[in-house]
Amino acid sequence: MPKKILLIDDDPDVVLALRMPLASAGYEVYEAHTQAEGLSTVDEVKPNLIILDVMMDTHTAGFQLALKLHGPTAKPEHCAIPIVMLTAIHQTTPLRFGPDADYLPVEAFVEKPIDPQQLLAQVAKLLNLT
Amino acid sequence: MNTKTQSVGNTDENGLRPTYEELSQNTRLLIRLRWVAGSGILLGVLLAQYVLQIDLPVGALLIVGCSVLGYNALLAFACQAHKLKTTEAAQRVALEQIVLDWLAMAALLHFTGGITSPALIYFVIHAALSGTIMLPKLARSLSVLVIVLVGGLALFESQGWLPHVALADLGLDTALYKNMTYILAVLFFFGTTVITLSELVTRKAQQLRQRQNQVHQLYEARSTFMRVATHELRAPLAAGISLMRNLEQGYAGPLSEQQTEIIHRVTGRLEHLRLVVDDLLTLAASEEASKAQIPLEPVNAREILEKIIEREMPNAENKHVRLDCHMMEDNTIVMSGDVGLGIIFGNLLNNAIKYTPENGCVRVGCTRAAHSIEVVFSDTGMGIPAEDLPQIFNEFFRARNAKNAQIIGSGLGLSTVRTLVERYQGTIALESEEGKGTTVKVVLPLASR
Repeated sequence: MPKKILLIDDDPDVVLALRMPLASAGYEVYEAHTQAEGLSTVDEVKPNLIILDVMMDTHTAGFQLALKLHGPTAKPEHCAIPIVMLTAIHQTTPLRFGPDADYLPVEAFVEKPIDPQQLLAQVAKLLNLT
Repeated sequence: MNTKTQSVGNTDENGLRPTYEELSQNTRLLIRLRWVAGSGILLGVLLAQYVLQIDLPVGALLIVGCSVLGYNALLAFACQAHKLKTTEAAQRVALEQIVLDWLAMAALLHFTGGITSPALIYFVIHAALSGTIMLPKLARSLSVLVIVLVGGLALFESQGWLPHVALADLGLDTALYKNMTYILAVLFFFGTTVITLSELVTRKAQQLRQRQNQVHQLYEARSTFMRVATHELRAPLAAGISLMRNLEQGYAGPLSEQQTEIIHRVTGRLEHLRLVVDDLLTLAASEEASKAQIPLEPVNAREILEKIIEREMPNAENKHVRLDCHMMEDNTIVMSGDVGLGIIFGNLLNNAIKYTPENGCVRVGCTRAAHSIEVVFSDTGMGIPAEDLPQIFNEFFRARNAKNAQIIGSGLGLSTVRTLVERYQGTIALESEEGKGTTVKVVLPLASR
């Protein structure tokens, strides 16, 4: 049975850029475009992995959603789903535009612009497919 | 903007309140001045009496001087203790001290000849001072109060309700204090001086506060612009490049050789644009930080350097460039900013990896001297031609060999690094030999304990 991946991002172009390599690698890809939609789709689809953007309806929507899914008050079934966070934090401004990576309850980061090969490698690693 | 504060002559009610910093700074300044004033009274009285042989009520004046020093000690205590935390508390202390000073000055005035005393001039100082720390309406009320105080003293003495202390040694007409015309004339000139001065100072202080607010708003607007620009410029570029990479790597179906070539070129141009945007925004942010005089703070340089190395590690691994790190054990606190320090180390390490070919080696070393730390990045990369070295720190300048090798770069990285290093009172030195490699040494002074 193919693994299910949920993309939560409000930028349709980024969603497309994520969808193409993931679909061609045989994953079943689902989409949500807001924090609220993301949360409801998680329960509906029960994905094996979530790819989450930092900025959506608000500048920190992604962080908030990550906290809801993996924070101290999160449901156990949510905590079991690994999250990959998409960051646009530029390499020379490592600390300015978001909280420190160490404090975020996510399993991995993928930097935007997305490199399809690196994305697939990261996803496979988290799903223990390597 | 509030229209009331704009209309001339009606700024009192809605004047800008002095900030907490302004109030506490002025209060502390006043306390320092008062130590001098109180001691001055004591010394002056003794000097006048025993050296200049002017007959004064020494005892009473010494009591006034001691009282000034006494309540100043109390005020100093109130300001140092935990009490002075809110703007309201600072405002109250500011008002209290002005009233206390006026009572002391009224006493000084009384014991040095009342309306005929040369000490009358001193009241003018406080008329100016109260204008700097009070709201316009309050400052005006205080000016009126001081005129009433001096007028009342003159009236009481002239009518014999309060004994007049005559300073015959000053050569004044001893009956002058009873001369109504003289009293009224002095009060008129004194009063107009106090009111005019207080009004002028109050207005200037208000204008300054308004400017300060405007500067603050401009700064906020600039920060917002930087954040929005950062997102709005980077997001579409990142999305576009992500899609192009999909095409390039064949996830959208097979492409002809020519199509692949074109897509490769477009991606390259977009990558270049992204780099320039990133570096420009970084440069703007670092210049903004220097211009806005954001205070430096103690930052652990080793911690930042370790984070940067961790971040650049995958980059080096992808390129098969070996990363050798020699870090000392000690903590290395330098006065800087964590963002700025990250930019310095990030740019230098990123450059070293970028300009070093496959199987090359980049060394990062961090050592500590008595009063500084030295961070060295050295690589076995392409180096910089000797004729390009003098310009290497200039904005947008790129070495000829780097351009020829079609390695993308904006020419802003080193210029940003130098701006920041200078801001942190450090030095940067670069040595390079074309084809052999480059070594960059950054020295930053340790924060003094």
